[in-house]
Amino acid sequence: MTVVPAQQSRSGGGTSGLYDVLELVLDRGLVIDAFVRVSLVGIEILKIDVRVVVASVDTYLRFAEACNRLDLESGRNASPGLPDLVGEITESGARGKSKGALSGAAQTISEAFEKARDESSSESRPRTRRTTSRKKEEQE
Amino acid sequence: MSTYVYGIARRSHPGPATELVGVGNPPLPVRTVAGGELIAIVSDAPEDLRPKRRDLLAHQNVLAEASASGAVLPMRFGGVSPDDDAVKAVLAERAEHFEQRLTALDGKVEYNVKASHDEEAVLHRILAENAELRAMSEANKAAGGGTQEQKLRLGERIVAAVQQRELIDADVVHRELTGRAEAISVGPESTGWLANISCLVARDGADAFVAAVDQLAKDNPHLSLQLNGPLPPYSFVE
Repeated sequence: MTVVPAQQSRSGGGTSGLYDVLELVLDRGLVIDAFVRVSLVGIEILKIDVRVVVASVDTYLRFAEACNRLDLESGRNASPGLPDLVGEITESGARGKSKGALSGAAQTISEAFEKARDESSSESRPRTRRTTSRKKEEQE
Repeated sequence: MSTYVYGIARRSHPGPATELVGVGNPPLPVRTVAGGELIAIVSDAPEDLRPKRRDLLAHQNVLAEASASGAVLPMRFGGVSPDDDAVKAVLAERAEHFEQRLTALDGKVEYNVKASHDEEAVLHRILAENAELRAMSEANKAAGGGTQEQKLRLGERIVAAVQQRELIDADVVHRELTGRAEAISVGPESTGWLANISCLVARDGADAFVAAVDQLAKDNPHLSLQLNGPLPPYSFVE
């Protein structure tokens, strides 16, 4: 089965980085039996941020067509599997993947958190970094 | 009035630097309940607490602020005690366990790493590595996309190759992070990523850890790595 991240929530302050932290808040952390747990009914609102694309006829067609759209010129002439090659292709791609990987394109989950707090003073803010500046919805 | 619990710390914890507010609308003030050598970071629980985004963020904010000044065991969102006395009872009952975990997690933070494929880059890589698939793809392209059957045949092979690649890359990420973290906790296999790994990292080793993840991303340009942290050690409390 292939999974492809698709849609991210467009509601207020919604970034997939935010989603990633909330997943931890909801699924991990200390649970004490003596305490009542708040019902998580309705939490699908968060969970549908990421959609599964099951390997199916549709998926096969989608990947075949994605291959058709690829520019293989540089792929044909190079020896296979050279990381440099892949990096070069990626950087020159229309999606503008940045060279410095994590160094740029920080997604501002901390801003989202700041919105939710009244007081702001902390030296260690959560950080979210992405390797690409590309928006997920462009994969649709 | 029931009591919402954010986390557990030592009594010597200096408390958050600023006055905090937590869950609820309007947000309820955060306070502590002491029991023995431990404190619980709590607020009153709102009547109709639900897992709303705002309240989830409030939970995370309280823990982030409190963790900045000392070890805190973060609770999962949504733990409500009948009252303060019941919180004290839990602190007393499980004091030894809590203190042991606080010692183990002192000075440590969690980083969550999720890896997924950059689809275009991984397709390039697969076609670059596999002459047969490359030939199939080029034949389809030359035929104006190919017939439905040709597309399906290529697509099926590509999907299989992508899945193979996901396993390989999950292993690469897992191995690299295992070598860089004091402990790791593998998250549920789920949608949207090929690896979801939480890492326990010493606060003063965080820069080196982030640099290692940065290097991992540079070495694997077909991977999209998402790094979240520093976070309270949600995945390492038990």
